[in-house]
Amino acid sequence: MQNTDCTFICEQFTEYQDNSLSSKIRARVDTHLASCSSCSEIYQKLAGVIETLHKLPTLQASSDFNSTLLSRIETLNQETVWQKFYHSSSSRVAGYAIAAGLIVAIGINIMIDPISPVKTGIQSNFAGEQIKPNQPTESLAEISDSSANHPVDSLTLQNSTINSQNQSMQLVSGKK
Amino acid sequence: MSEKPLKTDEQLIADFQNGNENAFVELVDRYKDRLVNFVYRFLHDMTDAEDMVQETFLKVYKNKHAYREIAKFSTWIYTIAGNLARSELRKRKRRKTYTMSDLSFDDNEFTPVDPGKDTEGIVFNSYAGEEIMKAIYALPEPFQTIIILRDIQELSYEDISTILDIPMGTVKSRVNRARLKLQDTLSYLKE
Ligand SMILES: [Zn+2]
Repeated sequence: MQNTDCTFICEQFTEYQDNSLSSKIRARVDTHLASCSSCSEIYQKLAGVIETLHKLPTLQASSDFNSTLLSRIETLNQETVWQKFYHSSSSRVAGYAIAAGLIVAIGINIMIDPISPVKTGIQSNFAGEQIKPNQPTESLAEISDSSANHPVDSLTLQNSTINSQNQSMQLVSGKK
Repeated sequence: MSEKPLKTDEQLIADFQNGNENAFVELVDRYKDRLVNFVYRFLHDMTDAEDMVQETFLKVYKNKHAYREIAKFSTWIYTIAGNLARSELRKRKRRKTYTMSDLSFDDNEFTPVDPGKDTEGIVFNSYAGEEIMKAIYALPEPFQTIIILRDIQELSYEDISTILDIPMGTVKSRVNRARLKLQDTLSYLKE
């Protein structure tokens, strides 16, 4: 492009080809192309490029595209169902309850006898003597009962359970 | 024989939003080839292209309620697919810097052509599709995207304007610049 007019003309090529230029500018492009070999060459090449682009072969998705997609969606749905379950407040609280229960159970187990596996009934009887009667068992029952309807309560309960666990551990160390 | 008129894309996505999964499958059938064609032009790998189109449909599936009736479904899905393809491309280009020799078309050493050289002998329509695709791949991303949207997907300026979120005038001038740039790149690569 030798001069500013060439630049201007080249800028019009797309619209020139689309036939969307005003008649005045279209005439200007026509006149310029007739007299400027450089621009006219660029224009012809451009037309060739566009033609080739339009003629590019159309690709097709593979025959198992839909089945692969549908199985990915199925996986996604299963994940979503699980996530919903996991994130819903009631199941989360249930999770807390189970966790709290485990902590209590482990605490009691350590307190009584860290090696031999003792039956739960004996454990709580023994623990009852050491701490306050039935406290850990009660907490657990309350948590699981209240978990569905009173998430805040059960959170508080969880804390109290942890406290009672600390208590029991202190008692154990005091005993030794 | 009277056939039921085809539902528009917008009616189908509305049906899907209301829980009709068959409407989703219908949209997949309408768009999978077009989108594979579209994404392939960026990535040059059929497996990657299909995978990315699957991602696109998964996004549509997961975010069906994000679609609002004010937009055409086609521009919405092209936007999703285009964003995925371009971000993948950026990742790739960061990993590998293309050298001009990667883009030469034969085993001959690459020699840039003097733009002022007399090219009278060239048959203008003789560019092979593969040459053009390599040249498109070598273009800077904004040019590449606009060429793919306009000259391969043959979308309207209006749709491109929506997809790229730029004014129509900008689309037109960018198409023009991209074509000139592509033609320029081809001239270099051709020799
Ligand atoms: Zn000129």
